[in-house]
Amino acid sequence: MSTQVHATIDEGTVRELSDSLDEPEWLLETRLSALEALDGLDMPSVIRTPGREWTNLHDLDFEGFVDPLNAAEDKDQVGPDEVEVLPFAEAVDEHEDLVREQFGSVVDPEEDYLTALSTALFSTGTVVYVPEGVDAEDVTVRTEMNSQSLFNYTLVVTEESSSVTILERQSTGDDVSGERYYSGIVEVAAAENSHVQYGSLQNLSEETYNYTLKRGHADTYATINWIEGNIGSRLTKSSVETYLQGDSSESQIVGAFFGHEDQHFDVNARVWHEAEHTTADLVTRGVLDDEARSVYEGVQDVGSGAWDTNSYQRENTLMLSDESEADASPKLIINNHDTEASHSATVGQVDEEDLFYMETRGTDPQTAENMLVEGFFVPVLEEVAVDELRDDLQELVAARLRE
Amino acid sequence: MSSDQDHLKETDTEKRFEFKKEESAAVTSDKGLTEEVVRMISDDKDEPEWMLERRLRALKQYQQMPMPTDWPGQPDLSELDVEEIVPYIRPDVDKREGADSWDDLPEDIQDTFEKLGIPEAERKALSGVGAQYESEVVYQNMQEQWEEKGVVFCNMDEAVQEHEELVKEHFMTKCVPPSDNKFAALHGAVWSGGSFVYVPEGVTVEMPVQAYFRMNSEGMGQFEHTLIIAEEGSEVHYIEGCSAPKYGTHNLHAGGVEVFVGEDAHVQYSTVQNWSKNTFNLNTKRAIAEKGGTMEWVSGSMGSKATMLYPSTILKGRGATDNHITIAFAGEGQDIDTGAKVYHNAPNTKSTIESKSIAKDGGRTNYRGLVQIADGAEGSSTAVECDALMFDNESTSDTMPYMEIQESKVDVAHEATVGKIGDEDVFYLQSRGLDDDDAKQMIVSGFIEPITEELPIEYAVELNRLIELEMEGSLG
Repeated sequence: MSTQVHATIDEGTVRELSDSLDEPEWLLETRLSALEALDGLDMPSVIRTPGREWTNLHDLDFEGFVDPLNAAEDKDQVGPDEVEVLPFAEAVDEHEDLVREQFGSVVDPEEDYLTALSTALFSTGTVVYVPEGVDAEDVTVRTEMNSQSLFNYTLVVTEESSSVTILERQSTGDDVSGERYYSGIVEVAAAENSHVQYGSLQNLSEETYNYTLKRGHADTYATINWIEGNIGSRLTKSSVETYLQGDSSESQIVGAFFGHEDQHFDVNARVWHEAEHTTADLVTRGVLDDEARSVYEGVQDVGSGAWDTNSYQRENTLMLSDESEADASPKLIINNHDTEASHSATVGQVDEEDLFYMETRGTDPQTAENMLVEGFFVPVLEEVAVDELRDDLQELVAARLRE
Repeated sequence: MSSDQDHLKETDTEKRFEFKKEESAAVTSDKGLTEEVVRMISDDKDEPEWMLERRLRALKQYQQMPMPTDWPGQPDLSELDVEEIVPYIRPDVDKREGADSWDDLPEDIQDTFEKLGIPEAERKALSGVGAQYESEVVYQNMQEQWEEKGVVFCNMDEAVQEHEELVKEHFMTKCVPPSDNKFAALHGAVWSGGSFVYVPEGVTVEMPVQAYFRMNSEGMGQFEHTLIIAEEGSEVHYIEGCSAPKYGTHNLHAGGVEVFVGEDAHVQYSTVQNWSKNTFNLNTKRAIAEKGGTMEWVSGSMGSKATMLYPSTILKGRGATDNHITIAFAGEGQDIDTGAKVYHNAPNTKSTIESKSIAKDGGRTNYRGLVQIADGAEGSSTAVECDALMFDNESTSDTMPYMEIQESKVDVAHEATVGKIGDEDVFYLQSRGLDDDDAKQMIVSGFIEPITEELPIEYAVELNRLIELEMEGSLG
């Protein structure tokens, strides 16, 4: 709450933004309410251990990089004919009832400071609507940020027995001097027996602060699978969450990150088991080079009504440099004994013996290390069911390896 | 051995925890915590000036520090009213004369031990018993051979007088400063009683050193301080057992334990705690291990209304080792929040944490742990393993580990599992003729075996018996 966004942002800013987008009254009200709430809201929760906060969001210079009225981007949002893939403003025009009903139904627009800020100031976004029984592949959303800041909002609604695969990529285009800020909120409402795959690959410039909250509600028999790749940004605070609300719903959260120089990744994977026979699998792997730091929190929360739960979590970090730091906290919160749950986390470096073996086969040390790093990501890549995303991720990893 | 078990079986265990003695106290401090109270305690103990100063400084810190309230998922401490807890009661035994054999102890104190179910035979076999009854160690017995070797085992108050320099150097300075947390500060202000153990260089104490504690005054707190100094190459195993009768008002136990593990020394600290179900158990225990030293914590947390206890080890010297074995059992109305903290501050340090917990009848167990590997502590490794058993749907079992790794040449592994007792296991045992309760009992006994096998036999028996009691009749 030490932030003074208000120095540059006020009701006028929000009204101007809403006007320019020609928004209905209810949406303006939602924005203004979020703006008003800012004063009383805390930053998104970060882990604290004695004497330190693992990620310090209070010190960010919001005043310096929040510039909502000059947002500029280059966006592709395409999908097959049978699904609606619409720019947010268009969706509000064409499907106002749907948007009004779903907006904020999964993510509380005012749940913390950065979310409320995003609610008040977002100027762009995408709505993906998949009608009943439709199976859609290849929905692509590509966002290139060309301004100081960009606030993005994505809503995915899948009707009964439908399925969709969505690929989202964020990058920065034009050079803008100074620090930049990207904020993205993603809501997924998966109706009964629907299946959502949501892949995201973040490769923003390393002057960009990145806040993202992705959350899904899974109804009976529904599946929500997330893929969260983080390569770019100066600092990332990312949360990927699923509420398993319907019986027999499932979720998988696959994460990969590769930090170098002084990047800071605070990645969170969380799942709430609220119904019976639900399954969750959380798999995250990350590599750190130079002075990069990763902070990981994984939460498996099993509610008292969640009979016959299966919940698994794995997190592995590879440290390539002595100056890097890897912090991890995998948490289990279990309120129903009819549960099989486990988590594991490891931190280590490239295996000396593996290196030695490869060097005896004539590989030079750096090439050997690079091969082992690429190999380290394989278990995660194998979980990525979308070829295109897997190839992209592999390419970005390869590009980051040392010469 | 079998007769001892019979003895335990015959002990009406419910009674063991329900009985309470007529209080007879020589000195009782006023309720609440003021400078006067602290001065009175110090004065009554005839303490040197520096100790009084330390107490008063700790009191100031205590008054300035907030209650811990913002830990994720921590036990509710709102019912704890420290002002209502009498910090100091000295039993009516003129301990300055000292009792030098068991029989010299007042009958009612002997009786207390009787009720605790510590068999006579075992008692005889103990190499030394320091029994804390109402904040004072009133009985000490040391085998002559120890004294010859220069081993010191005495109560903390005595140590302040007799071993002033050692105590002055080590008491709440480097290991657990009062500023560590609010209850450590409280402890520093009103501590009373406890054990002092000093093992000189190269000496191995073959028999475990033991002390029993017992709370027996309504609304009374226990603030005993244990200080263990193991010099280079020495070896000692200290055992503390706790158990308290039930009372209606809230009791507070805020003990402090400090262990100094010298170069290549080996210290094991074992405890089975069974405070009554209205006690807040808020302890601070810490060890500092020098080069090549080994620290082992073995703890069973059975009783109390709420426990917050995270024995920690600072691996200060190259090649130091820390092993934690903990078990927590939470039944109805209990919140046992316990774990371990390890700081790897030197190269080639090793730690293992093995945690087992059982939650039942609406109880909650939580493993809360921190492993930190500092930059430069290369070649360090840590392995953490947490397993939790849950009996029913009213109970809660949480795991909240934190790992902060600032060094790349390390090997860090953490794993945790939660599950219920396997139906197949129960079925198998039933097919062999055990009834449902016995089958579950056996599975639980097997589950906690890694802990019990670390304990001397009488403790293992007591622990198993306690768990049996906790489970009796409420299974199925």
